[in-house]
Amino acid sequence: MPSLLTPELLRRLEQFQLLAQRRAKSSAKGERRSKARGQSVEFADYRNYVSGDDFRYLDWNLYGRLDRLFLKLYEEERELPVTVFLDASESMTFGEPRKFDFARQVAAAVGYVALCGFDRVSVVIFPDVTSEPATDAERRAQSSELAARGALRAVRGRRSALEFFQNINQLTARGATSFNEALRRGALQARQAGVAVVLSDFLDPAGYEAGLTALVGRGFQVNAVQILAPDELNPATYGDLRLIDSETGAQQEVTFGKYRLNTYRQTVQNFCQRLREYCSSRGMNFFMAASDTPLEELLLKQLREAEVWG
Amino acid sequence: MRFLAPAAFFFAAAIPVVILFYLLKRKRVVRLVSSTLLWQKFLAETQASAPFQRLRHNWLLILQLLMLALAILALARPYFSGHLSGGNLQVVILDASASMQSTDEAPSRFEKARAGALKLVDGLRDTDRMVVLLAGANTEVKQSETSEKSLLRRAIQSSTATDSPTRLNEALKMADSLTRDKTGAEIHLFSDGAMPALSEFENKALPLTYHRVGQRANNLGIVSLDVRPNPEDASQRAIFTSVANASPEEQKTEIELRFDDQLIETKSLTIPPTNTAPVVFLAAQPRDGVFSVRITAKDDLAVDNRASIVSLLPQPVRVLLVSRGNKFLEKALKAAGKVELTVAADVTEERPFADLVVLDDVTPTVWPALNVLAIHTMGTNWFNSVGSVEGPAIVDWKSTHPLLRFVSFDNVAIAKTLAVKTPTWAVAVADSPQTPLILAGELARRRIVWLGFDTLESTWPLRVSFPIFIANAVDWLNPAAIQAAQLLVKAGEPFRQTLAETVKSTEITLPDGSRKTVALNPASHELVFGDTAKQGVYHLNVGTNQTVFCVDLLDSAETDTHPRAELNFGKFGNVAATTMRRANLEIWRWIAAIGLVVLMFEWWYYHRRTA
Repeated sequence: MPSLLTPELLRRLEQFQLLAQRRAKSSAKGERRSKARGQSVEFADYRNYVSGDDFRYLDWNLYGRLDRLFLKLYEEERELPVTVFLDASESMTFGEPRKFDFARQVAAAVGYVALCGFDRVSVVIFPDVTSEPATDAERRAQSSELAARGALRAVRGRRSALEFFQNINQLTARGATSFNEALRRGALQARQAGVAVVLSDFLDPAGYEAGLTALVGRGFQVNAVQILAPDELNPATYGDLRLIDSETGAQQEVTFGKYRLNTYRQTVQNFCQRLREYCSSRGMNFFMAASDTPLEELLLKQLREAEVWG
Repeated sequence: MRFLAPAAFFFAAAIPVVILFYLLKRKRVVRLVSSTLLWQKFLAETQASAPFQRLRHNWLLILQLLMLALAILALARPYFSGHLSGGNLQVVILDASASMQSTDEAPSRFEKARAGALKLVDGLRDTDRMVVLLAGANTEVKQSETSEKSLLRRAIQSSTATDSPTRLNEALKMADSLTRDKTGAEIHLFSDGAMPALSEFENKALPLTYHRVGQRANNLGIVSLDVRPNPEDASQRAIFTSVANASPEEQKTEIELRFDDQLIETKSLTIPPTNTAPVVFLAAQPRDGVFSVRITAKDDLAVDNRASIVSLLPQPVRVLLVSRGNKFLEKALKAAGKVELTVAADVTEERPFADLVVLDDVTPTVWPALNVLAIHTMGTNWFNSVGSVEGPAIVDWKSTHPLLRFVSFDNVAIAKTLAVKTPTWAVAVADSPQTPLILAGELARRRIVWLGFDTLESTWPLRVSFPIFIANAVDWLNPAAIQAAQLLVKAGEPFRQTLAETVKSTEITLPDGSRKTVALNPASHELVFGDTAKQGVYHLNVGTNQTVFCVDLLDSAETDTHPRAELNFGKFGNVAATTMRRANLEIWRWIAAIGLVVLMFEWWYYHRRTA
């Protein structure tokens, strides 16, 4: 498999830092300003001394002038949890290049930027691996993927970047997704909310609203990236077709010709527009990309313009 | 309601095909997609036109079936019978003469003419009417006036060429009477123009279109045939024939003489362009039989390459001379070939034992029912009034008449003659200014030669022409010779024979071997057989007697197959050959049929459409 990101792109990504719109709420120490008070060089406030406080933080100069004890408070710098929700359902395997490959690249890039900023990265891959392996080779592949998924639950530090990329490379896409369920569970399981990046095609018959709402409700700063295959935007197969849904297996008969292309495009556009409106109404960033879009276009231009990072 | 083209109902077979298309489930390409989510709305739109395996209520199907039914109905050309004004009359005359059998046009001139006539039928508008006439020796109305093309086609296709000469007068007269005072009427003549001049129609201004068929004249043909005793050797027969060359090049051929299908002699002939060469054969004849001559050269027209003639052995002629004594006459009669002469003073019975009777200046007690040579006989009912003329001058005589062959009236003087008016049954073969001198004719199936003057009161018995005339008269009046002449019939003309006994029917064997039975009226004493369109030898059985007669073309106009560029109507009236008249050949049926095919294709394509 070719490397996920080119060295050139990695070098440029190193210059970015995720921009958190809210103060970090993580309990772990990091390099982000947070609302918590603690030890750092950044002065935050004074407060009255109460018994038991550490004398080391008393402002002795103020005591000399006012003869009262005040405690100097400093901002605690904490980490920013970055959660990447990666759709690994069957529908992501379509397209040329595959939507899943594109999604993995974006996930790697987001993760790399976060790791460079000493933020904690968590990649939530859905759906879970449920199928029973039939052969030993499959069993080995499945166990290594499960290990990779486990390792991606929490990654920190720039040194982990290589291992992070390797683990992402081992992921495969299969099975039917339940988008809402996966996001709701992810929101509940996160210890702290932070930046959430949702990479999916959003093509779930059950919709996407409940999952995204759950993330927002948990306090995540959500960035939704919709990835569609070029063939989904401009179908090239015409005639009398029996379409089979790759995930649900549902069959639909359709007669399709060039003369209906515009109608189809309008349908896709309406779908994307509804998603965009939904996101913007709830303060989420929305990005749409075809899987053949140059990666730089999305990462260095769209995400930067939307101030996801800078 | 009736239909002009009921065959179009065969298109109804397309109806089940259309229904079948609706019954057929469309074959779909199975395709795996990431999600059918994006197609949901789209599916709802297309499902409305998706076909089902079960036939269901479908307006498209009903409309298509309706359109198909209407198209089929239109193709079947329904009509209601009613009266319609307008429409032109066209009279088609097909020349069915022998020359139309020429093969210079493939397969023959007549076939070409027929194809032309069929094209004319195709171009007929619905309101136009047509009459089909077939002009052979007789004119046959193959189809009376109609606008039904199927009838007209059948009439034209059932027409065949005959071996007879062209007799266009009758056909043109009929066409003239049909088209007279009708505006827009047309006469279409399909012919090669090989016919005599039609001066009768010079001033009629016939609306005639002459469609010429034929390309060249490469033909040799026998145009005359006769058999006579050889004057130099009584035991032999002389067969006179002539061969015409219609082509513009010199032609060489062999000519064969056969007697009852046995080859007797072959001669080589070289005939200059557009010339006629006479040929004389001398042959011994052991019995009554048929002489046939045949040209061996290959040419375009086969029918005139062969001719036959019946030759009977000469029998002695029994002549009864009723006279008060006339040595000149007696000697002349005795000299006239095989004559058994009986001399009597009077005739006492109606049928004396003789072949012919010569009345020399006597009025018999009983008029004989035989052929008569009557000299200076006035007590008859042949004339209204009889006068007399002194010293009549002989000013004119018909040297072409068989009676006057080799006879000249130079140096003949007549002292006195009876003066009569030429009756309707006779022709005058010798005339004086005041009265006919010699009359010849046929009255009540008897031949009569009447001389107005007594030969003894003229210088004629002293002249050499007198015994020749008597010999000619005996020959002309001889019933056997008359009968022999009747045994050669031109194609298309009726064969006649006097019947000696009363029979109810006769059987005739045609040249092709087929037999025909002719019913006869018992009261009739004559057999008339008209079906002589094909040339050859016919065998006639009347009771126990068998008679053989020959039908021949022997027509120089037919042998000259050179196609005429124009028809000659007398001095001033010519009709030039035209190219085919521009006809309005309807093609709407084809277009409608293509429309049906397109309809089927549209439905098929709708099902099969891939992009």
